[in-house]
Amino acid sequence: MNRPGSKFWRSLEQAADDPEFLARAAQEFPGLAEALAEPLGRRQALKLMAASLVLSGLGGCDSKFGGNLIPAVKSAPNIIPALPNFYATAHVLDGHASGIVVKHVMGRPVKVEGNPHHPASLGAIDVFAQAQLLDFYDPDRAAQVSVRGNPSDRQSLQTAFAAQRARLLENHGNGLRILTGTVTSPTLAAQLDALRQQYPQAQWTQWQPICRDAVRQGARLAYGHAVDVIAHVDQVDVLLAIDSDLLSTAPGRLRYARDFASRRNPTRGATMSRAYAVEPTPTLLGCVADHRFVAGPRELQRIVGALAAGILQSVPSTAGPDWVSPVIADLKAAHGRALVHVGADQPAEVHALAHAMNEALGARGVTFDLIEPVAHEPIDQADALRTLIAEMRAGKVTHLLIIDSNPVFTVPATWGFADALKQVPFSLALAGNADETARSTTWFVPKTHEWETWSDARAYEGSVTILQPQALPLFGGMSAHEMLALYLGPAPVSAEDAVRATWARRLGGDFGKGWSDALANGIVPGSASAKSDVRLRAEASQIVPPAAASGAALSILFRPDPSLWDGRFANNPWLQELPRPLTKLVWDNPLLIAPALAEQMQLKNGDCVRLSIEGPSVVAPVWVMPGQAPDCITAWLGSGRRASGAVGDGGGVDYYPLTGLKGAAVLRKAQGRVQLASTVHHNLLLETPPEILRHGTLAEYLANPRFAANEHPEPHLYRTVPTGPAAWAMSVDLNACIGCNACVVACQAENNIPVVGKEQVLREREMHWLRIDRYFEGTPEAPESFFQPVLCMHCEEAPCENVCPVGATVHDSEGLNLMIYNRCVGTRFCSNNCPYKVRRFNFFGYANEQHRPPQSWNPDVTVRARGVMEKCSYCVQRIAEARIVADRESRPVGEVKTACQSACPTQAFTFGNLADPESEVSKRKRSPLDFVMLEAQATKPRTTYEALVRNPNPAIKAQPT
Amino acid sequence: MSDIPMSHPAEAMAPPIADLLAPRYAPRLDDPVFYPGVTAASMTDRICAIALREKPFLWWWVAFVPCMALTVLLMVAIVYLFYAGIGIWGVNWPVMWGFAILSYVWWIAIASGGTIISALFFLVRADWRDSINRIAESMMLFGAAAAGVYPILHLGRPWFFYWLFFYPNTMTLSAQFRSPLLWDFWALMTYVLASVLFWYFGLIPDLASVRDRARSPGKQRIYGVLACGFRGSSRQWKHMRATYGVMAAIMAPVVVSIHSIVGLDFAGAATPGWHSTEFPPFFVCGALLSGFAIVLLLIIPLRRLLNLEELMTGRHLDVLCKLLLTSSLCIAYAYLMDAFTTFYGGDHAERLMFTERVFGDYKPVYWGAMLFNCLLPQLLWFRRLRVNQLVIVLICLGVVVGMWLERYEIVVTSLHRPHLPSAWGIFHGTFWDWATLFGTVGMFLSGILLSVRYVPIVSMHEMRALIAARAAPAVTAEHAR
Repeated sequence: MNRPGSKFWRSLEQAADDPEFLARAAQEFPGLAEALAEPLGRRQALKLMAASLVLSGLGGCDSKFGGNLIPAVKSAPNIIPALPNFYATAHVLDGHASGIVVKHVMGRPVKVEGNPHHPASLGAIDVFAQAQLLDFYDPDRAAQVSVRGNPSDRQSLQTAFAAQRARLLENHGNGLRILTGTVTSPTLAAQLDALRQQYPQAQWTQWQPICRDAVRQGARLAYGHAVDVIAHVDQVDVLLAIDSDLLSTAPGRLRYARDFASRRNPTRGATMSRAYAVEPTPTLLGCVADHRFVAGPRELQRIVGALAAGILQSVPSTAGPDWVSPVIADLKAAHGRALVHVGADQPAEVHALAHAMNEALGARGVTFDLIEPVAHEPIDQADALRTLIAEMRAGKVTHLLIIDSNPVFTVPATWGFADALKQVPFSLALAGNADETARSTTWFVPKTHEWETWSDARAYEGSVTILQPQALPLFGGMSAHEMLALYLGPAPVSAEDAVRATWARRLGGDFGKGWSDALANGIVPGSASAKSDVRLRAEASQIVPPAAASGAALSILFRPDPSLWDGRFANNPWLQELPRPLTKLVWDNPLLIAPALAEQMQLKNGDCVRLSIEGPSVVAPVWVMPGQAPDCITAWLGSGRRASGAVGDGGGVDYYPLTGLKGAAVLRKAQGRVQLASTVHHNLLLETPPEILRHGTLAEYLANPRFAANEHPEPHLYRTVPTGPAAWAMSVDLNACIGCNACVVACQAENNIPVVGKEQVLREREMHWLRIDRYFEGTPEAPESFFQPVLCMHCEEAPCENVCPVGATVHDSEGLNLMIYNRCVGTRFCSNNCPYKVRRFNFFGYANEQHRPPQSWNPDVTVRARGVMEKCSYCVQRIAEARIVADRESRPVGEVKTACQSACPTQAFTFGNLADPESEVSKRKRSPLDFVMLEAQATKPRTTYEALVRNPNPAIKAQPT
Repeated sequence: MSDIPMSHPAEAMAPPIADLLAPRYAPRLDDPVFYPGVTAASMTDRICAIALREKPFLWWWVAFVPCMALTVLLMVAIVYLFYAGIGIWGVNWPVMWGFAILSYVWWIAIASGGTIISALFFLVRADWRDSINRIAESMMLFGAAAAGVYPILHLGRPWFFYWLFFYPNTMTLSAQFRSPLLWDFWALMTYVLASVLFWYFGLIPDLASVRDRARSPGKQRIYGVLACGFRGSSRQWKHMRATYGVMAAIMAPVVVSIHSIVGLDFAGAATPGWHSTEFPPFFVCGALLSGFAIVLLLIIPLRRLLNLEELMTGRHLDVLCKLLLTSSLCIAYAYLMDAFTTFYGGDHAERLMFTERVFGDYKPVYWGAMLFNCLLPQLLWFRRLRVNQLVIVLICLGVVVGMWLERYEIVVTSLHRPHLPSAWGIFHGTFWDWATLFGTVGMFLSGILLSVRYVPIVSMHEMRALIAARAAPAVTAEHAR
């Protein structure tokens, strides 16, 4: 009956004839094979049937959890209803960890905060880590192991693995390849090392789409070794940022932002630093720099050459624009306190030259340090991946394990990964959801979320955080550690055991205490990378930056989407609807083109173009980006996902097909228009009304520190002073704000702010309580940019309160302008009367339609119904909590941190009690820069701003265009 | 006095089609308030016959069916609104108020115009008022009804509208007195109640006349109940006249207050474009303008269709056109002052908003309002045009549209340019906005048509007094006192 080669069997008897099956079964269930091998009697058949019925029922039980479950007759220790618990862990993005603390209520994670003990966070948090909450609860996460798209289970997986393991052991892992992102996890590294020891011919490839190869290569070019560079931005007096990602995408960006901001307010601390940025497309650092020079990719290479010549050889520069000489002079004058920083998108040679310049400027040990690489086995990832693809195509790869990477979507299409994958007989993707790769591999295994498993990871400077699980897996799944353990042996190893095994060796001393301290603090003390003492190679300063491809009139800059990164966050509604820092676009990623190019091609925002390089082309809308160099186009990667989930699929444009190509880009006008949703609806304005945002130069400040202060207003006729024990107030330092959006997502997470979708944003119904307004000044070609966070001003004479017919918005005795949702009937008069337009209205029942389960909401904040107005409450729930604590301890209410404040990497927000003259906010309000927005409205806002001071170089007169 | 049997069947009252095209009486400037030959009896017969017709006119059906269809559309729009939420409208951030508020203001102005004709000109004893005040009052009634729909629809949570009342409740909460919206809510309630009473009270003697002429027992009963036992005794007449005079004296200030308070809805806010002390009188002038326009639009077809040219003459058209021109001049002055104070005040946001209003995205709205409300009515300076019915109808239609545009300009244009550029926006009405607007138009016209059909369309007792006074001036002078 059993035809050779037949893959199907109809009955156990038929299968029992198959020796291969028997062998597999023997490995897994020793008894079963014997039972099957015996001839079956009637009674035995009945017994087996009964047993299989019973066992099939058992299969429905949760087999993932191995520990004991005890019903909570008595509540679990440390869990007090309504009181939060906090557990430290880390958010890992492309291998690099940033410390976080997860807030739990009744065992459910509800909010993420930064970890103040963690060097890469210092209490701050970026948008990705904040929005991780929705990733964790994402209903689109996969729960089912599948084989070629058909549902399977873990048992089958283990069976399949047993066979693979035997085969791999036989041939020493020949044909086994593992593809991961950048790995810094000591445990994963140890497992990978052990795996390659067990299968000596196996190979491991690291690859991430947001490529940092040039940084690594640059360091190797300059120093001859793989080293990481960490900057000490707080020590920098003069910073030259060349297409820099220091504040936007570089590992350690939160720390860098904090350090940068610490030198930007002239009323505080040390002397003000000066930052120059030269870049083809606006970056966060460029937007807050004192001088921003626009230079296209080709011009940039010439400028770098001129800068290098000026700094390294003291040749007076003639090549570059006329601002180069004063910049060089300024850098040299700040010898030992200067830094040149280059972004990851610049070629390795530019990085090497920057290293040489920094060494020449005497910066080593002061403004930057070299450390041993943080990543395990840093390699040239693009080369390694291409090698892997070539091997796959050649049929040399028989077994490919892809961990937490989505190469089918992100690898340049011309490299042909997707096709090569078809040549691999056994491929397995371990991923959070059934993404593009998981749909192309033979096996797909759901990966547990970072919050559901144990792991470890290193920060930008090497410090290790042990990642502890925050909850039992919501959807089952397997962690990378468990997956690798499956290769190493049949016995399942839990991720916790694997991580403990790593740290049992390294923590030393009292392991129990060291382990629990590391978990509690979210950092392993003394684990930072050692400083490297390699010397600069002499030839480093002779390097010439590569000439840009000849004839390439137009180049494309592929940058990670400020909210979606490489596309992995595409299914996160908070991030999709996060207004991108400069364009304020949501749910879309048009091509950013320069105003000059737009004029030349007669393009308006939303017009479609066809962009092609060599063969491939995409049709995409455009967005006119002031400050963009005319000879380049910026394309944000990450949108256009095809299999990310209900939220991310289909939105935006996928530019990956154009990546990895060297040819000239050709831009042609195409048919059609796309409605682009931006939360800013006005046309380009090139002035900032002084009643809204005030700014000046350091010289102006020194001449008159109160240059930005309000004219003293007339005394108010009905001045009412709240009588409460505290007077809550906020000060926002415009010198610190870098427009990174961390506060916006933090506010959204803390205050249960719904996401409304692109169509509703197009109808101007976005719900963010806190928005960051962006202003330009100057010319569209090279404007100066300004960021201004705007949230409820909590006016003492609030115009909204007077006009509400039902008293749904009222003032409390501590000066809070409260919104009583229950009382609101939705006349919307308050919003009309708000000069700051900070009120948001539930035009529909948005909260009912969120892509998240109910348990993910913050239980301390009302979820607002349809027809109700809402707005920033100064995180009144946090104030209430502080008040309760203070009452219990019989002391005046102490420090309260709002969600935006605690998330902010640059400490732009200060919140506190104005009644206490010693509070931080009182001090900041005494700053000579303090000013009130729209003072003439006589609203007496409790939120005030510190005017923006920039420190331009007097030797540079006008900004070049 | 009102038990004279009908002299001829009601059907005979329908004008032949040829008459519609070539009317017997072209209005003339020197027309009297009623044509000679109209007697108290013939007038009463004629008006009662209209109310008592067994079958309505064909034109009535032709007008009524589409109006009812629009009313049904209004019902659908309301049901869907309550089901889905006000997100179905075009309102957004920052234009939080849209069609609901602007249409409310538009309707309440139309209603107020009717009250002013009826009450104010009663107090000054204008003789031309007596034959058209019933139409003006019907317009007031159904205009107020159309307006009254909107404040509740406008709410985000309409089912809690009663929170605007002061009523004892377990939450120990009361409405908030400082809000102009609350004043508005109350002013509207007062106005709607007062206008219903005013309309009904003036109607009682006429209902009694109809009751006495009704032949079918059903109609006798219905009109009998509605006439509240009015038998025409001198005692009843005395009370009736006194009360009616007092109510008119109340209604005149109430109508000024309602529209001033509607103006305060805007003037009380600090929003650029709204924050102006001229709004209350400006809004009252607007109410006059739209009221005169709608009255003209109603009487011009009705006088012909119902054969009432002898009662609504060229004199009426002339007077109403002069009043329309006067109020148009007032409005033009208000527009001028709006521009002047904006630039005199010097507030950056106000200036910017005004510039946007005149030259920005909504400039057709501004210039449309200018054209229809200020420029077009200037044609009425020409005496001949004041009795040219076609010209009057066109001008009045223009004013009706222009007044709507003016409210659009005030509500939407002001809101779309707030202080902070980051909050600038744009507003467009959706299908449901327009459905609600035209639905209320249908409801208003349906109401007018129903009242034309069943209610004496001319105030017979006042007309009789006027006819008697003209016949014997001495008697009237005494009568009036």
